[in-house]
Amino acid sequence: MLTRLSGGHVVDPASGRDGVADIYVEDGLVVDPPSNGRAADETIDCTGLVVMAGAIDIHSHIAGGHVNTARLLLPEWHRAFQARPGETALSKVGWTTEETGLLYAEMGFTTVVEPAMAPSSALHAHLELADTPIIDKATLVVLGNDDMLMSMIREGESESAIADYVAWTVSASRALGVKCINAGGSAAFKENVRKFDFDDAVPDYGVSSRQIVKTLQKAVTSLGIPHPLHVHCNNLGVPGASSDSIEATIRAAEGDPLHLAHIQFYGYGTEGKRRFSSRGQALADLVNATPEVTVDIGQVMFGQTVTISSDELRQFAGSKQASPKKSIIFDHEANGGGVVPMNYKEKSYFNALQWAIGLELFLLIEDPSRVFFTTDHPNGAPFTTYPDIFALLMDRSVRARWLEALPKSVVKMTALPEIEREYTLGEIATMTRASPARLLGTPDRGHLGAGAVADVAVYRPGEDKAKMFGKAAYVLKDGDVVVKDGAVVKRKFGRALTLRPEPDKAMKTRLDRYFDDRYGLSARWFEVPDGALGRDEPFKVVPCRA
Amino acid sequence: MTVDTAWIDGRPATLEDALQAAAGLLDGSRLPFVGGLRTDVAGLRSALSLARRIGAVVDHRLSAAIYPFIVAARENGAFLAAPAEMRRRADRVVVMGDEAAEIGADVIRMLTDASPDLGIGTRGSERLFMTLGSKNAASPGSTASRHVDCASSEIVDVLGMVRAGMAGRRSGEGALGEETVATITSFLTDAGFCCIVFSPAEFGELGTEQIFGLVADLNETTRASTLPVLAAADAMGAALQATWTAGFPLRFAFGRGAGEHDAALNAGERQLSGAGEADLAILIDALDGAAPAEAKAAIPTIAITADPASAGAARIAFHVATAGRDYDGVLYEPRFGSFVAKAAQRNSELPSAAAILDALTEQLGERARDAA
Repeated sequence: MLTRLSGGHVVDPASGRDGVADIYVEDGLVVDPPSNGRAADETIDCTGLVVMAGAIDIHSHIAGGHVNTARLLLPEWHRAFQARPGETALSKVGWTTEETGLLYAEMGFTTVVEPAMAPSSALHAHLELADTPIIDKATLVVLGNDDMLMSMIREGESESAIADYVAWTVSASRALGVKCINAGGSAAFKENVRKFDFDDAVPDYGVSSRQIVKTLQKAVTSLGIPHPLHVHCNNLGVPGASSDSIEATIRAAEGDPLHLAHIQFYGYGTEGKRRFSSRGQALADLVNATPEVTVDIGQVMFGQTVTISSDELRQFAGSKQASPKKSIIFDHEANGGGVVPMNYKEKSYFNALQWAIGLELFLLIEDPSRVFFTTDHPNGAPFTTYPDIFALLMDRSVRARWLEALPKSVVKMTALPEIEREYTLGEIATMTRASPARLLGTPDRGHLGAGAVADVAVYRPGEDKAKMFGKAAYVLKDGDVVVKDGAVVKRKFGRALTLRPEPDKAMKTRLDRYFDDRYGLSARWFEVPDGALGRDEPFKVVPCRA
Repeated sequence: MTVDTAWIDGRPATLEDALQAAAGLLDGSRLPFVGGLRTDVAGLRSALSLARRIGAVVDHRLSAAIYPFIVAARENGAFLAAPAEMRRRADRVVVMGDEAAEIGADVIRMLTDASPDLGIGTRGSERLFMTLGSKNAASPGSTASRHVDCASSEIVDVLGMVRAGMAGRRSGEGALGEETVATITSFLTDAGFCCIVFSPAEFGELGTEQIFGLVADLNETTRASTLPVLAAADAMGAALQATWTAGFPLRFAFGRGAGEHDAALNAGERQLSGAGEADLAILIDALDGAAPAEAKAAIPTIAITADPASAGAARIAFHVATAGRDYDGVLYEPRFGSFVAKAAQRNSELPSAAAILDALTEQLGERARDAA
């Protein structure tokens, strides 16, 4: 069936289009306008509406053992648990897999990446993703605190052997990329180390965080994994030490691609009487000057949320500030992690400055193709706050209103009031569509050119940008209209995008023995078979680069 | 020979007739209960989907075994370990109480079969065990084990004395003398990485909270974690899946659309006893291995079971295959602390629980369409 989206304002930076045009869709793909005068079977009138590709979220914790533990830890925040639904904390969060899919789709997001899948939790994560409707999904598998990798580095094993190990892990866990979280920090915490810097060595291995990051960066590059190594730096949230860590990590990119996650949490200095200040400008300058680096923000918004991270060391430290006062800390194989509830308060100097630092970074990093739109859901804020963040980026007067409500001490410590930049629709589309597709190595999405998957988001423009992006007028997923007037009208299931590098047979044999001997586990338990997920086509394989 | 796969009021029936009869019972039910839930991930997905469709109350047959753990963890938090990591890292293990050695035999075997080989302070040392309980039978069998005799009911108080001592506070006379309490304390605090293995069901919610609190105290200065062992691994798997599906670890009702959680109101025992609100039960029992028999239900039941002989007085019964044995299935594996795919060990022509539940959901859809 040929569908025509007629007369909309097409914003498609990948093809340079920014004006009124028709988009044609057939068999789940965007197609060229028919040259033979063939009439469309269905026409969706988009006159006066803005038409973009479906949005892509590159970093949102939506599935897996830690996410599910957060649900388990916080039943009181689920709307149905309390007598007054709708008024409870997190009542707007996409809390179940079902709500996650539907709420993302209603905002025009059609692909979401779960960025912290432990190899031992891969099947669990994919089971949850298989139950998440409408959107396509992908995962990043976590390495960098695992005994195997650190032992291989310690023993001086070859780059190709390490690449074989990374390939096996990516392939078995059905991941789209590799993430490294406080490299070596969780392993050090298991040795009772409480602070871990980029050049500190993990006890018993003698390998530093820097060595781990550089080793993984090389392996990812040599395997042709399109998405650069995705790095969560050391010392997250520590004033002074956080910005030192991210600066050292960015400088360690050394010309090769590297992605730095939720950098807002690293933009903290120690100036001022509270020993907490913004280093947003300096961090933005460094990102601007380092073209091989991409970043996402991890914007903080005010209200109750929960932090979910495989950075066990920093989650343990953060558990002292848990609100409410309860947390779960995991000592799992490799990274472990923690779930710590957090309430970001508008009247708190610290929280309000975190909010301002995030926006400084969004607005001071000049190239929208290198800065990505995230709240590190739910760590900085639930993804349902995205419409408000779009408004803050696109409208200086909205920022001014929010700033007025903050403590005066905060306004003195941020450059935000002086920043005049307002994101254009084209820049929003670059940041949330065209660039994420390039970053993930998924050229079939993020644009509206012929051959793209027909994931399309249509918005009703207006002065109120939060309203515009909160409820899409239409969303098409693989060519089907799934959302109309901000409500889901068709429920279907997308697929998980995965790489499938061919694992080396000798490495496979070696790992069979390793998991059996050392951990008493079958290596098969780390694998995610297609048939386990109960969907007809659970995966779509994305090729590695030659 | 044809194997009977369905029964109505104890008499063999075709699958189609049984599905229609079951749908008829569900049509007439004011509030159904979907329980048992002894099935694989696919079966649970279908069961939860059907429960949502019919607005049912949901619980697992053995959720009582996991609730002390769930309640303690969600009320006050926890430190939790993976058995495989403790196998490599823990140099000292406390097996606490009388039940853990039996319930957690597989997990404890992972610890007794190997010595720690990770960590500067732990690698290469012999793993030391301490059992704190009333029976020597609870010993993990290691030569490097020490038993502290203490009635199970006294352990929580003893841990309170340990915590008081660690915090520099005095405590009163307890079941064990000061010297023994000091021995336990130093066993915990002198560890490179200490692991406590215990059964939350033995200690209840408050006792479990005490153990998690002790480990939180230990982590102020050293490293420690816990391995709670549960008598019903599949109940934990069901609770996890229910949590991502409906937001809660079982004991919820879909009566008003979204899952609503009330651990007392929606407990399976209450609903099946007739003291609850449910007037019809769908009970799923399709896993390998023995499980305590379900108490005789006081309300009519639809049984989906791998053992039709156990269906008893079910109004409708379906004979289904066993997940992970008769067909490939995904099950929760406590040694892994997560879900694993298990390949079939033999072929079976029987349908899966998921297939029956999906067929029942479809049947209800057809009846709704016919009625419209």
